[in-house]
Amino acid sequence: MAKPRKSRGESLLLRYLVLGGWALVCLLPILWFLSIGFRPRTEVITPHPIYWPTFSLDAWHLLMSDWPIALYLRNSVIAVAGSVVIDLLLAIPAAYALARYEFKGREDIGFYILSTRMMAPAIVAVPIFFLFKTLGLLDSVWALMLIYAAINLSLVTWIIRSYMLDIPKELEDAARTDGAGDLTILREIIVPACLPGIITAAVIAAIFAINEFLFTLLIASTSNAYTMSVALANFTGGSDGIIYNAIALVSFIAFVPILILVILIQKHLSRGLTMGAVKG
Amino acid sequence: MASIHLQNIEKRYGGFVGVQNMSLEIADEEFLVLLGPSGCGKTTTMRMIAGLELPTDGKIVIGGEEMTEIDARDRDVAMVFQGYALYPNMSIYENIRFPLRMRGIPASEHDARIRQAADMVELGGFLDRKPGALSGGQRQRAALARAVVRQPQVFLMDEPLSNLDAKLRQSMRVQIKHMQRQLKVTTVYVTHDQIEAMTLADRIVIMNKGAIQQVGTPDQIYSDPANTFVAGFIGSPPMNLIEGTAQNGRFVAPGVSAPCPDYVRGKVTLGVRPEDCHVGGDDLQGMVYGVEPTGDTTYLTVLAGTKKIEVKAAREYLSDIDVPVGITFDPAHLYFFGEDGQRIRGTA
Repeated sequence: MAKPRKSRGESLLLRYLVLGGWALVCLLPILWFLSIGFRPRTEVITPHPIYWPTFSLDAWHLLMSDWPIALYLRNSVIAVAGSVVIDLLLAIPAAYALARYEFKGREDIGFYILSTRMMAPAIVAVPIFFLFKTLGLLDSVWALMLIYAAINLSLVTWIIRSYMLDIPKELEDAARTDGAGDLTILREIIVPACLPGIITAAVIAAIFAINEFLFTLLIASTSNAYTMSVALANFTGGSDGIIYNAIALVSFIAFVPILILVILIQKHLSRGLTMGAVKG
Repeated sequence: MASIHLQNIEKRYGGFVGVQNMSLEIADEEFLVLLGPSGCGKTTTMRMIAGLELPTDGKIVIGGEEMTEIDARDRDVAMVFQGYALYPNMSIYENIRFPLRMRGIPASEHDARIRQAADMVELGGFLDRKPGALSGGQRQRAALARAVVRQPQVFLMDEPLSNLDAKLRQSMRVQIKHMQRQLKVTTVYVTHDQIEAMTLADRIVIMNKGAIQQVGTPDQIYSDPANTFVAGFIGSPPMNLIEGTAQNGRFVAPGVSAPCPDYVRGKVTLGVRPEDCHVGGDDLQGMVYGVEPTGDTTYLTVLAGTKKIEVKAAREYLSDIDVPVGITFDPAHLYFFGEDGQRIRGTA
């Protein structure tokens, strides 16, 4: 080595400074939202910046009295959770078949499933609107559930498949000689062994579903089916003008569940999002 | 308890022949070892017996019943894998219990049988652990317990010891052999380690390039090799193989001039084991290339021409390198192989 290594303490301090600085930059918009959400309306738009705003729960009270947030949250939870359940029920067997069974056209089918993700959603927006109109499912959370499930199915299948490919084939051989059939192997060996992958896929699907906007806007027309994402976009704070501090607070509330989900799976998140990069 | 008959089985993958036209009879209660280098078809043969792979051709009969097309789950065969293949999400207890549940054995019998199997492999204290919390040797014992718990007709073991260190391998080897004798279950064991094969087997099947080279007891394989492949594969260090010519009762090669039977003529290969070579004399003249004491014996490597010959010398043997040395071969233990690699035997 030509250069002597820096002492451990010194490089550690530098590391924390750089990472801490970057974290602050990333967090700034969120802190800004919080600061706007908890200040009085009069301090939101001012000619001069206010560095130490007054703490106020005005926006919070306005939301609680005037905006059916519980309803929107309920819609979001039903549609998102339902779509994730549908995705898992369909994707786990599909992923297993794609990962393990040998059949003609396996790669093609795998790619076809993935390719459904490549199309611009706007292309199918109008047909989907008429489809659900015919089914009588407009303005319903059930429709949203189906749409979210359809949107995420390919992604969920591929993430789970990539995890299944990592399970040693020996495990299945062992189970087969032990007397297990395909479904038993899937249920008792494969699913538990790739549980981290299944959870990752479910959370990623949930995040995409929570953020879904285009189809939700198309299908939902009243608070019957409004989810957080669309309700948020429609929210101006009521009849007396645009109330920015309430909007900021709502945005923050909408962001919390996603934050929680990301924290839950952060260890697996990069693997899930780069799936198929190495194998498959 | 069952015998196994393989009748002309063959496994082809496209144009590649994994196992070619193999016939083998495995007796009830026999411990049979399939031995060969990697890619010789031994594991494929075992997987066909297990039902994890279908032969392209031929017939497999286990315990008198034709099993060629029967699914692995319906053959009464237990397998131990190289990588242990324990189910990572289940405790050792549940791992051992899995085959009992799958085979529909009454739940009331489970506990006693699991504990008996675990005791047999000395794993009684680890039943509630997960496989991840066990050492390599313990995992392999757990895999053995899972195989014995349902008292199958046949055990198949696919290099079960190759992931263990040398010391553990030796003790596990004895344990496996003891268990097989105790349970009297027909066992097929795959390995590329000739020591394992020699120590465990009732009979060894040596395979190369998808074909059987020789079948015999360890002693037959060692003292009566059928061809140069078997001769060079068995023994540690393996048999010296010296290419040369034979005429008028003498075998001649660079540095070598040794008596040979009259019926050996032309281009032949002489095989002689290190322990049948003795320092002194002049069957072989060469230079000392290296001396390796191992404690109970000393191996001497002699360079004759361009060929290195291994000699088992007395344990106190010492020599500098590049010193001339003469070697005598034990005339009773010389093997001659023809140009095709097959053993040349006297016309009896």
